Amino acid sequence: MGEVIVVTSGKGGVGKTTTSANIGTGLAAEGHKVVLVDTDIGLRNLDVVMGLENRIVYDLVDVTSGNCRLKQALIKDKRFSNLFLLPAAQTKDKTAVSPEQMKILAKELKEEFDYAIIDCPAGIEQGFRNAIAGADRAVVVCTPEVSAVRDADRIIGLLEASELRNPKLIINRLRPAMVKRGDMMDISDILDILAIELIGVVPEDESIVVSTNRGEPAVMDQGSKAGEAYRRITRRIKGEDVPLMNLEVPSGIMDRLKRLVGIR
Amino acid sequence: MTRTEHVALKGTREGLVLYLDPAADFRLLMNELDNLLKNSEQFLQGANVRCYAGKKEFSEDEQENLTAILRENHLELAGWLSTEEVYVPGKTQSYANEERDARLWEEGMSEGRCLFMERTLRSGKSVQFEGHVIVQGDVNPGAEIIATGNIVVLGSLRGVAHAGAMGNRKASVSAYHLAPTQLRIADLVTRAPDDETDGRGPEIARIKDDQLTVEAAGMNGWRGKAR
Ligand SMILES: Nc1ncnc2c1ncn2[C@@H]1O[C@H](COP(=O)(O)OP(=O)(O)OP(=O)(O)O)[C@@H](O)[C@H]1O
Ligand SMILES: [Mg+2]
Repeated sequence: MGEVIVVTSGKGGVGKTTTSANIGTGLAAEGHKVVLVDTDIGLRNLDVVMGLENRIVYDLVDVTSGNCRLKQALIKDKRFSNLFLLPAAQTKDKTAVSPEQMKILAKELKEEFDYAIIDCPAGIEQGFRNAIAGADRAVVVCTPEVSAVRDADRIIGLLEASELRNPKLIINRLRPAMVKRGDMMDISDILDILAIELIGVVPEDESIVVSTNRGEPAVMDQGSKAGEAYRRITRRIKGEDVPLMNLEVPSGIMDRLKRLVGIR
Repeated sequence: MTRTEHVALKGTREGLVLYLDPAADFRLLMNELDNLLKNSEQFLQGANVRCYAGKKEFSEDEQENLTAILRENHLELAGWLSTEEVYVPGKTQSYANEERDARLWEEGMSEGRCLFMERTLRSGKSVQFEGHVIVQGDVNPGAEIIATGNIVVLGSLRGVAHAGAMGNRKASVSAYHLAPTQLRIADLVTRAPDDETDGRGPEIARIKDDQLTVEAAGMNGWRGKAR
């Protein structure tokens, strides 16, 4: 029986889709059978990031409303035969699917796959409720900005209220140089407020933009710093104990951070 | 206490009491009441209210009208108080409570209903309570607490806190790390100072000489005031 992991954030554009694509691809590269589910109905992106846009025939709404079978809608990845995408519908809206339908779908996916990664839309409305409905675990993505932290905090509260306890945190688009100058929130500022377990810090990295446009997740690019961060995150998702990447953050902060996240 | 010319709403130890001027015209009373409630804090929502109008008796229609206005503002009419049950200035009966409160206050104490929250209040969470609120956790930015009494936060208070929300100027807000987005006591409002607030230790905010002041908790607390 597999696991359903929802990737969420509250605030838009902080890297949910990027994270979903990279974690999913990372887990597939480690040999797991994985499905990526895009629940951002009306604003689908995951297919583009995965480079699978031109292969879509059926979508999530076709599956939940019984227009086709699950197998018909799943798109096999270009690189990994054990990685699949269930794309969102582009021409409908969030109300085309209900949380109950998502629960049923999640059950079905867990029987087939080791991991189902759910890419959640921004916001706290129905799209969010759909995305978390069938999830066993949650990953919260947040950038080092006050507004993103505020929204992540709200989301964590809502996840807790929906019995999704102990969500994990990924901080995305960190710029170590800016943090050093005191121009960006540092990791401990964020953890101080959110107080949940940090499973990764992804630096701001041009290779993300390049890989997104190419439809090849950075996690497969050995030369990419963000890719390296996602490889480590992938292993932590699997439960491995991996040290945080050195992002040239001053050592004092890293020590405090390690204490905070419970690494030695 | 929140009031208009002929209507007053007061938080007491036993709950909310609505005073209606027995001499005033009913329509005027209801107008004032409606305005009063519309402009008052929403923490009242869901609370029970008991009414007092001296010896005046309201007709069934009038009672229904009153209930409806309270309902509209999410309040429940829980009954009527007689002159014996309510504190009226000049009557000796309830002096016991007032006297007791004053005596406790002199000794740096106060008592009342309490809400304990063994959790952190995250962004978007709002807690409204008739009484004191004690949070055994943090109050994050984007969260708010509104209490008729005092507010105590064992962790960091970074959200909005309103103590003495029914007008009690003796109320206080204290926290291990006091850095609220906004702090209100009774009718006074202040923002967090813009300077770094880390590592100052526990602090307490209260009204002194019509000013909202913040000082280290425990050191310049009650006794400091007497000096
Ligand atoms: N670490 C990073 N470095 C540089 N650019 C990044 C990084 N992470 C994400 N981006 C860019 O930020 C943009 C938003 O990312 P993404 O689409 O993953 O966010 P999202 O949270 O899914 O957005 P939405 O809320 O709209 O669904 C994209 O253009 C992406 O390439
Ligand atoms: Mg997205």
